[in-house]
Amino acid sequence: MSDPTNEPTSGEQPERRIGVYICHCGGNISDYVDVEAVREALKDEPGVVVSTDPMFACADGTQHDMINDIRSQGLDGLVVASCSPKLHQITFRNVAKRADMNQYNYTQVNIREQASWAHSHDRAGATEKVIGLVRSGVAKTRLSEPLEPLVVETVQKTIVVGGGIAGLRAAVGLADIGIGVTLIEREAELGGWMGSFGPTFPNEAVGRDEIATLLEEIRKRPSITVFTNAELTSKSGSFGNYAVDLTVRASDGEHVIHDIVGSIIVATGFDAYEPEAGEFGYGIPGVLTLPDFKKLTESSSGKLTFEGRDVRSIAYVYCVGSRQEAPGNEYCSKFCCSAAIHSSIEVHALDASIRQYHLHRDVRAYGRNELLYSESREQGSIYLKVPDDTPPTVERMPDGRLGVGVVDVLTDNREITLPVDLVVLVTGMVPRKNAELIDLLKLPIGSDGFFNEIHPKLRPVETVVDGVLIAGCCQSPRTASESVASGLSAVAQSAALLKKGFAELEPLVATVHEEACTGCTQCISACPYAAITMINCDGRDVASVSAASCKGCGGCVPACDVDAIDLLGYTDAQMKAAIENLVQEHREKEPVA
Amino acid sequence: MDYDVLVVGSGIGGMESSIKLADMGYKVLLVEKEASVGGRMILLSKVFPTLDCASCISGPKMSSTINHPNITTKTYSEVEGISRAVDGTFSATIREKSTFVDWAACTGCDACQLACSVAVPDQFNANLAARRAAYIAFPQAVPKKAVLDRAGTSPCIGACPAGIKAHGYVSLVRTGKDEEAFQLVLDATPLVGSLGRACYAPCESECTRGKLEGPVPIRLIKRFAADKHYEQPGEGPAIEIQEPNGRSVVIVGSGPAGLTAAWQLARKGYRVKVLEQRAVAGGFLRHAIPSYRLPQDVVDRDIENLLSVGVTIETGVRIENLQGLKDEGYDAVIVATGTQLATLMDVPGEDADGSMNGLDFLNEVANDRAPDFSGKRVVVVGGGNVAMDTARVARRLGATDVTVAYRRTRAEMPAHHVEADDAEKEGATFEFLVAPVAVETDASGHVTGIRMQRMRLGQPDASGRQRPEPIPGSETVLPCDIVISAIGMNPDQVPYGTLTGVVGGARVKVDARTLQTDTPWLFAAGDVATGATDITRAIGAGRRAAFMLDAWLHGTSMASFPPLDDQLPVVPYKEVLDRQKAFAHRDPVSGTMVLLPAPSSFDEIEQPLTEAEARAGASSCLDCGVCSECQECVNACPANAIKMDMRDVMTEVNVGAVVVSTGHKLFAADLKPEYGFGQFPNVITGMQMDRLLAPTRPFNTVLRPSDGKVPDRIAYVSCTGSRDKTVDNPLCSKFCCMYSIKQNQLIMGALPLADVTMHYMDMRAAGKRYDEFYQQSKDMGATYIKGRVAKIDETSNGDLVLRYEDIENEGKIVEAEYDLVVLAVGIQPNRDVEAMFRDAPLKLDEFYYVAEPSEELHPGQTNIPGVFVAGTASGAKDIVDTILHSGAAVAQVAAHLEHFTTDAEVLA
Repeated sequence: MSDPTNEPTSGEQPERRIGVYICHCGGNISDYVDVEAVREALKDEPGVVVSTDPMFACADGTQHDMINDIRSQGLDGLVVASCSPKLHQITFRNVAKRADMNQYNYTQVNIREQASWAHSHDRAGATEKVIGLVRSGVAKTRLSEPLEPLVVETVQKTIVVGGGIAGLRAAVGLADIGIGVTLIEREAELGGWMGSFGPTFPNEAVGRDEIATLLEEIRKRPSITVFTNAELTSKSGSFGNYAVDLTVRASDGEHVIHDIVGSIIVATGFDAYEPEAGEFGYGIPGVLTLPDFKKLTESSSGKLTFEGRDVRSIAYVYCVGSRQEAPGNEYCSKFCCSAAIHSSIEVHALDASIRQYHLHRDVRAYGRNELLYSESREQGSIYLKVPDDTPPTVERMPDGRLGVGVVDVLTDNREITLPVDLVVLVTGMVPRKNAELIDLLKLPIGSDGFFNEIHPKLRPVETVVDGVLIAGCCQSPRTASESVASGLSAVAQSAALLKKGFAELEPLVATVHEEACTGCTQCISACPYAAITMINCDGRDVASVSAASCKGCGGCVPACDVDAIDLLGYTDAQMKAAIENLVQEHREKEPVA
Repeated sequence: MDYDVLVVGSGIGGMESSIKLADMGYKVLLVEKEASVGGRMILLSKVFPTLDCASCISGPKMSSTINHPNITTKTYSEVEGISRAVDGTFSATIREKSTFVDWAACTGCDACQLACSVAVPDQFNANLAARRAAYIAFPQAVPKKAVLDRAGTSPCIGACPAGIKAHGYVSLVRTGKDEEAFQLVLDATPLVGSLGRACYAPCESECTRGKLEGPVPIRLIKRFAADKHYEQPGEGPAIEIQEPNGRSVVIVGSGPAGLTAAWQLARKGYRVKVLEQRAVAGGFLRHAIPSYRLPQDVVDRDIENLLSVGVTIETGVRIENLQGLKDEGYDAVIVATGTQLATLMDVPGEDADGSMNGLDFLNEVANDRAPDFSGKRVVVVGGGNVAMDTARVARRLGATDVTVAYRRTRAEMPAHHVEADDAEKEGATFEFLVAPVAVETDASGHVTGIRMQRMRLGQPDASGRQRPEPIPGSETVLPCDIVISAIGMNPDQVPYGTLTGVVGGARVKVDARTLQTDTPWLFAAGDVATGATDITRAIGAGRRAAFMLDAWLHGTSMASFPPLDDQLPVVPYKEVLDRQKAFAHRDPVSGTMVLLPAPSSFDEIEQPLTEAEARAGASSCLDCGVCSECQECVNACPANAIKMDMRDVMTEVNVGAVVVSTGHKLFAADLKPEYGFGQFPNVITGMQMDRLLAPTRPFNTVLRPSDGKVPDRIAYVSCTGSRDKTVDNPLCSKFCCMYSIKQNQLIMGALPLADVTMHYMDMRAAGKRYDEFYQQSKDMGATYIKGRVAKIDETSNGDLVLRYEDIENEGKIVEAEYDLVVLAVGIQPNRDVEAMFRDAPLKLDEFYYVAEPSEELHPGQTNIPGVFVAGTASGAKDIVDTILHSGAAVAQVAAHLEHFTTDAEVLA
């Protein structure tokens, strides 16, 4: 059997000039992979003219070196073997661009997540794997073609989904920088959770007032159109130019409104955790969730009463619905410690004689919220650390009061029962149920059920869907000002994407070899994006791919019986060469049958 | 408007703000005080909760920042002041601090760093390791350019009238570069060996180490380098000489001023001739300073340097008229004839047999015509250095009794106090407050004594010294055989007396800056223009005269002589001493003088430093100016990029909005003395541990500082400097719990056998995936103990004992022993912003963070319209929070700028 891996470079192709950079990642790779051996193994590969192993491929100095190499060595192909393309594909494409090399002649090979981190106990094996991976990337690059991104004119308009504080503030922020806004809210009223709140921590800002201010500002801005009782029901097109449908419920039925937007900000917020019946006594009169308790204190004046009885003592049970054992909610809801402390300070203002017990698992009054915690303790609130493995119990006592059983760490783990009039379950946040929206926008969900950003530090408000941004508590639990900050961040990101006036889309799309196409339409049924249609070409019906709609998923390629579809950047020839080179070592080792 | 936005500070907040604004199409000016963008994040190991390596996140952002077409970055620059104009824009004053490196030429190659002779604590390694004074901030610096760290001129250099770079050659000898040290002095003057002996070392008087144990023995270090060079047989120094320029200069006088001028001019390509009226060159170095202080062979070796660069010296040539010399065809003339004429006492009997003047006497002795003073009683009149030399030579010539008679008291004596002390140690006695009246003689005209008038001190004279006044009727006679007067000296006017406008009193009249006379082709250097001074001033004048003469002949600027006139300000002692909290004690190294009560030999009395003494003495240098000006980087730089004459540049820019992203400081852990940071080497901070774990880590492993041992038991102490009213910080710093947990995991990865324990108050793992990260750390085996650590003690082997109340175990007081303790230090405000806004002050909150008056709806907005804050400048934030906060600031900056251009309504 002949060795097919040599075919692509055996003289028929013009000799490529490829630079290969194998990154140490400051030890992330080089601690587990013999990077020098990889470099040596690659340096004589066909087409490879530069093979080096920088400490950090992504560092500015190395980027400059690459640019110098591309220019001085006349490189027409670039392979960086480092981390996931999710992290740095754009970084190195930009390097190629700056050196006037076509960015699609660049291939990122992931040897960190796929080798060094995966095989940290097998240096030889990891090294061998990396050699195969890089060789495969080089083979793919040898067959790479220059491609140009698809340029789409961007619509200077954003749809904001969700009318809570993050969404409202984002809408105002967008309007202020000249981007039109369609704001939709599923409920009848705008304002979300904050709209129902009185004074909030840490600055005593009144939630209702903040929302009223924002609504007033929205009214002043003609470039914002608001729909309540409205949901996003359809989305098509691509980043920079999405066609969306809103379905608005009105007294006379549902209306569908079409809109064209450049980007989508999802700020759908959270739900409060609803304890199960019996969870910390939930269901017993006098056992309230934190939101309910806030309503109670806010509606009280003079003194605090519950169902006609004076409240003399309160126990707060922290971390209800948060920091649970799997499969419960393992995450910390972040805001609830401070919110509970803030409520207890309000209770103290109502009636300083009320005794308040806080049964916590570490008080997470981070940052400036520590001041609230100090104030509350100085006011006499008692904080009891509860062991993680022995949660408090809540029972109704014969006298009608509530008995809270707790193991108190500070008194040598003594089991004590606190007789109290009210138990406040300090409930956290849970993700909103938004199945249709998630499905429509292909929103990525994290293990905690909240929406996931691409990367918390590199692209903190972007999702893997281009032009679909997330903000506020739909991303993870946070405070009002943190939600607003992320809403405004999404504004900044939207503007950075749209203000240029055009968007560049990946040209890595499917393309049909019309002469080979039989017009069988199998590909049309395989396409999840309705990007393929039949056209008449020289009297024959053949498939045609809309480059703007195609997401480059490749689903159509194997569906074609006659290999008439190729994915640009991942052509059959490239992938075959890549695979052959990946397994080359093993092929040579094993006897040929 | 020059820029739409000024962003101050290029940490993660500043970079994020800049990139986003630039992506939106705004023109951004980013100002960073350090030499690289990146702030603190690039120095971290990995970042929570994803454990991405910080370099992989920060590095590309740094690259995007610096390469973005809409961002202008000024690193190593500071915003000195910002004013708000009536139209709502801002004008900002920016100081581009001098890097002393031409960044357009610098390739970031490292050569300067490797050559540099000064090591200082590396702030980019949290002071765990050292960096050089010439340095690239850190390996991933952007831009990757070198900087010379110059705090100013070191006091020793500032004190030298010759402009010799004392700090430079000290730091070179410290690093074993003795020949380079010799060359550095040689660059200023050929008289290296002579200076190593005869200089009075004003540098040592100014040495900051002198405020501690005693000064660095700077002069003897120079002598060490000179002796070492001269020990080696060779063909003269390998000094750079320019191509002959076809011009010729004649220098009259071969003392230190003339020889130095000749040296400098010859190296500039001049044909130089030195004329000397005596039979041997060297001026007072050879003919006045006695050889027990300055051996003649040393002077000879120094003068040989001159011959190697082609200077011709003609001796025995007396010049009666400089004009005649000029007419011989020289392009210019330097007169450096010094002060040849002794001042007369002008008393009866002065010309008696046995009465002489000190200059003649020393000259005779130096030229092997010493008189025999055996058994003689000698009175030396005068209180200067010549008087001291005279007295000590007289002792060596056998005089049994040598009295120095001076008209004021010891305190007013112009002689260097060391000289006076040494004269006394060698048996000379002093008679103060006496002035000569007459030399008494016997019938044959031989001296029998000197009649003196008793004096007292009256009102201060022009020099500030009290004027001596005669006490009427108090004459006394000091019986003696020899009287030597050494009361002063003056130039010999003969050579220039006929040139118009040249004579000023007895001296040559010159422009003090250019040393040029009113006869333009004539320059004067040294004592002939100033009156008697000393070797350093003469050398300084020789250098200056050569420079100015060259400038005059070439028509270039004579505005200043850079080595002496354009130095950076001298670094104050206090600044040097404050730079470090503690100093290693250094036993002072000083030379040994062999001082006999009855000396008879002219052998050199001062012993040289041994090599060990020279290195130890040089090592006690405190590097006051940081850069020692040793010139090693200048010589090493292949791009010729080092520019020592670079100075700060101030620019004014007009901008539409400002983003303050000046970040934070970390708590100074030594403010919690009970934790022993700064005293116990194995108590380190979280930032130091991050450096130990980082990919660019200084020691390539986690080790403890005291003994380099890889620690087995590591403890974390959370809330160091946070939640602590004893240090005036009641706030929680938010990120310390998380970075500690992160480090816990990284340590368990790096040192699988190590036990990691964290002592915490409340585990504030609040944020997306933070609590999961904490649980993961517990699952990996880290131990978490609740309770604040009260105290840390050190055991004799450097281990540490933590004392704490174990809350979860019956509240017992526990003492636990660890190899290494990491203090999880928290955040402190960076108060640099306070002075930044000139007219409308930027409002700060009660904890000195930038205030956000309406944080809920306008996170990032400050009290000044158009000024926004991003990141930790407004309070504790982790990296994710900082990035989102920056995004919020950016959206509002854009709204503010749109408002400017469109007058649209903006939510404010």
